[in-house]
Amino acid sequence: MNWTWFHKLGSPKWFYQWASNWGGRCVYLGLMLLVIGIVWGLAFAPADYQQGNSFRIIYIHVPVAVLAQSCYLGMGIAGFVALVWQMKLAPVFIKSVAPVGAVMAFIALVSGAIWGKPTWGTWWVWDARLTSVLVLFLLYMGVIAIQNALDDQVFADKAVAVVSLVGVINLPIIKYSVEWWNTLHQPATFKLTEKPSMPMEMWLPLLFSALGLYLFAAGLAMWRMQSEVLKRERKANWVKKEVMSHGV
Amino acid sequence: MNYRSYFKAEWMSLLRRKQDTLNALLFFVMVITLFPLGVDPSADFLAPAAGGIIWCATALSVLMAVEGMYKEDYNDGSLEQWLTSGLSVTFLVFLKVLAQWLMVVLPLLLVLPLLAQMLFLPMSVLSVVMLSILLGTPALFFIGSIGAALTVSLRRGAVLMLLLILPLYIPVIIFATGAVRAAQMEMVYSGQLAILAAISLVALTLSPVMAAISIRASVN
Amino acid sequence: MNLQLKNLWIERGERDLCRDLSFSVLNGELIRIAGENGAGKSSLIKAILGWVHLEAGNLEFNGEDVTQHRDMLLQCQLYLGHTPGIKSVFTALENLRLYCPQASEEALEFALDQVQLGAFVDTPAAQLSAGQKRRIALARLWLTDKALWFLDEPFTALDVKGVDALEQRMSDHLSSGGAIVITTHQPLLSLAPKVIELVA
Repeated sequence: MNWTWFHKLGSPKWFYQWASNWGGRCVYLGLMLLVIGIVWGLAFAPADYQQGNSFRIIYIHVPVAVLAQSCYLGMGIAGFVALVWQMKLAPVFIKSVAPVGAVMAFIALVSGAIWGKPTWGTWWVWDARLTSVLVLFLLYMGVIAIQNALDDQVFADKAVAVVSLVGVINLPIIKYSVEWWNTLHQPATFKLTEKPSMPMEMWLPLLFSALGLYLFAAGLAMWRMQSEVLKRERKANWVKKEVMSHGV
Repeated sequence: MNYRSYFKAEWMSLLRRKQDTLNALLFFVMVITLFPLGVDPSADFLAPAAGGIIWCATALSVLMAVEGMYKEDYNDGSLEQWLTSGLSVTFLVFLKVLAQWLMVVLPLLLVLPLLAQMLFLPMSVLSVVMLSILLGTPALFFIGSIGAALTVSLRRGAVLMLLLILPLYIPVIIFATGAVRAAQMEMVYSGQLAILAAISLVALTLSPVMAAISIRASVN
Repeated sequence: MNLQLKNLWIERGERDLCRDLSFSVLNGELIRIAGENGAGKSSLIKAILGWVHLEAGNLEFNGEDVTQHRDMLLQCQLYLGHTPGIKSVFTALENLRLYCPQASEEALEFALDQVQLGAFVDTPAAQLSAGQKRRIALARLWLTDKALWFLDEPFTALDVKGVDALEQRMSDHLSSGGAIVITTHQPLLSLAPKVIELVA
C-alpha cells in the first residue's frame, strides 16, 4: 500500500494547499446537496402513513445526529494519531472539528425534542438514543472546555488528544449501557425511526441531505483547520509568503 | 525511589491524613441523607431507590477523593521526581490509585450496612450492593485519575474535571444499579457484575497510560 | 558518559530561550548554566530531561538519541529542582528514605548531618522552612550513585558552611568521574566550571 498521502498529511504546508483547493468545493457542493435533500424531503417526499408530516424532520435530525457521532469518532482517531505519531495536524483537526460536532449534537437534541412533541407527546423522553446524544454533547463540551482552559499549546494539544481518545473508547460502552438500561426501563414501542424498510422516495432525499451535510462539514472543518495552521505556523516562510501574496 | 518505597510512602501519607478519608466518608453519608429529606422518607420510595442513591453518592465521593489526588505532588515537585526517577510513570500512577482506592472504599464498605438500614434496603440485597461497589469503584478511580492528571495544573480545575469525567461514569452507574435492581427483583444479577468487572479491568489497564501522558504534559 | 546537545532551539511562549545551542557534558565535567533571572536556565535543564518541548535540535546520550531512549539518560541521572518533592506529612528522615530506600539508617542520618539537618531528623517537614526542605533533598547527593547530576540553584537554600560542604561533595563527585550540570549565580571558580551563558 502506498503511504505517501499519510506522510504528506504530516506537513501543514501540503495540507494548507490541498485544503485551499478542496475546502471551498466541499462547502458549496455540500450546501447544494443539502438544500436539494431538504427541499425534496420537506416538500415533495410522501407523508408517513403513521406520523403524517411530522416525520419530515428526519431529513435534518438523522444526518445531524449521525454526523455528530462521526465527528467524535474522527476526533478519537486523531487523538490516537496525535499521541502515537505526534502528527502536527491531528490536534489541529480535533480543535477544528470539536465545535462543529458540538453544534451537530445540539441540533440533534433540539430537533429530536421538536420531533418528540407531536409523536410522543412530550419534549423529552429518556429514550436510549436521546440520552446517548446528550452524553455525546457533554463529551464535546468537555473537549472544548479543556481546550479553552489550557494556555500552553503543547499541553492543550496533548490534553485534547487524551480526552478525545478516552471518550471514543467509552462511547460504545456508554451507548450499549444506555440502550441496555432503556430496555430495562420501558418497552421498545417508542422506536419509530427504525422501520423495516423505507420507500425509495423517502430514502433518497435523506441520502442527499446526509451526503450534503457531510461534505459541508468536511469543507467547514478544512477552512477552520487552515486558519489554525496559519496561526500555528506563523513563523514559517511559506506562511509569510502566503499572507504577502494574498494580503490580509 | 523504587516502587516499594513509593507505595509504602503513599500509603503512610494517606494514613497520616486520616481527616481526608473521614471527610470523604462524611460527604458520602451527607449525600445519602439528602435523598430522604429532599424526595421522600417513606420505605416505599427508599427501598427500591436505595441502590441508585448509594451509587450516586459513591460516584460523587469518589470524584471528590480523586479530584485533588495529584495536587500536592504537583505543588511540592514530586511529579517532577516521578518523571526523572527512571521508573515507569504509568506504574506509579497505578500504585497511587490503588492506595487511594483501598483508603476510600474499605471504610465506605464498613459504614454501608448502617446506611442500607436507613434506606430500608433488604439485607439480602446488601451483599450485592457491596459486591457492585467492590467491582465497580476501581473503574471510577482509574478513569477519575485521568481527569485529575489533566487538570492538576489548573487553579480551578475541579469543575472542569467533573465535566470531563462524570459522563464516563454513566456505564458503571447503570450496570451497578442494574445489578442491585435485578437482585431486588430476585433475578440473575451475575451478568451485570461481570460487565462491571470487565469495565474496571479495561479502565485499570488503559487509564494509567493516559494519566501518565497527561502528567508528562502537565509538568513543565 | 557522554551527553551531546546539538543545535538546541527552545521557545517559551513567543520568546526564544536559545537557538543553535550546542555543548557536551563529559565525565568529570562541571557545566554551569549562567544567565539572568528568566533567561531560561531551568527550562534548559527541563528540556534535556524531556518535559520542555524542543523546537529543534538533537540530544545524544552515549551515542543514542535521547528522544528515542530517554530511559537510558533517566537511569543515570539525579535531578533536584526548585521544589524537589519533599512531602510535608513526613519527617526529614522519612522523606530521604523514600528516595533512597537502599541506604542504611546511619547513612541517612549522616547525609542529613551534611546539610545541617542533624537536629531535625525526626521533625515533620511541615514544621521546616522552605530552605530546610530543599536541604533534605540535597542530602540525597551524599547517598546517590547516579553519575550525572542536574542541580537547579542548589546553593540558595544553604548557609556558608553548607555551601562549603556541597562544593566539597561536588568536587568529590567530579573527581570520581561524575558530571554535574548546575544553574547558579555562584561562580564556583575552585571547581573550574565550563560556563554556558544564556542571554535573556
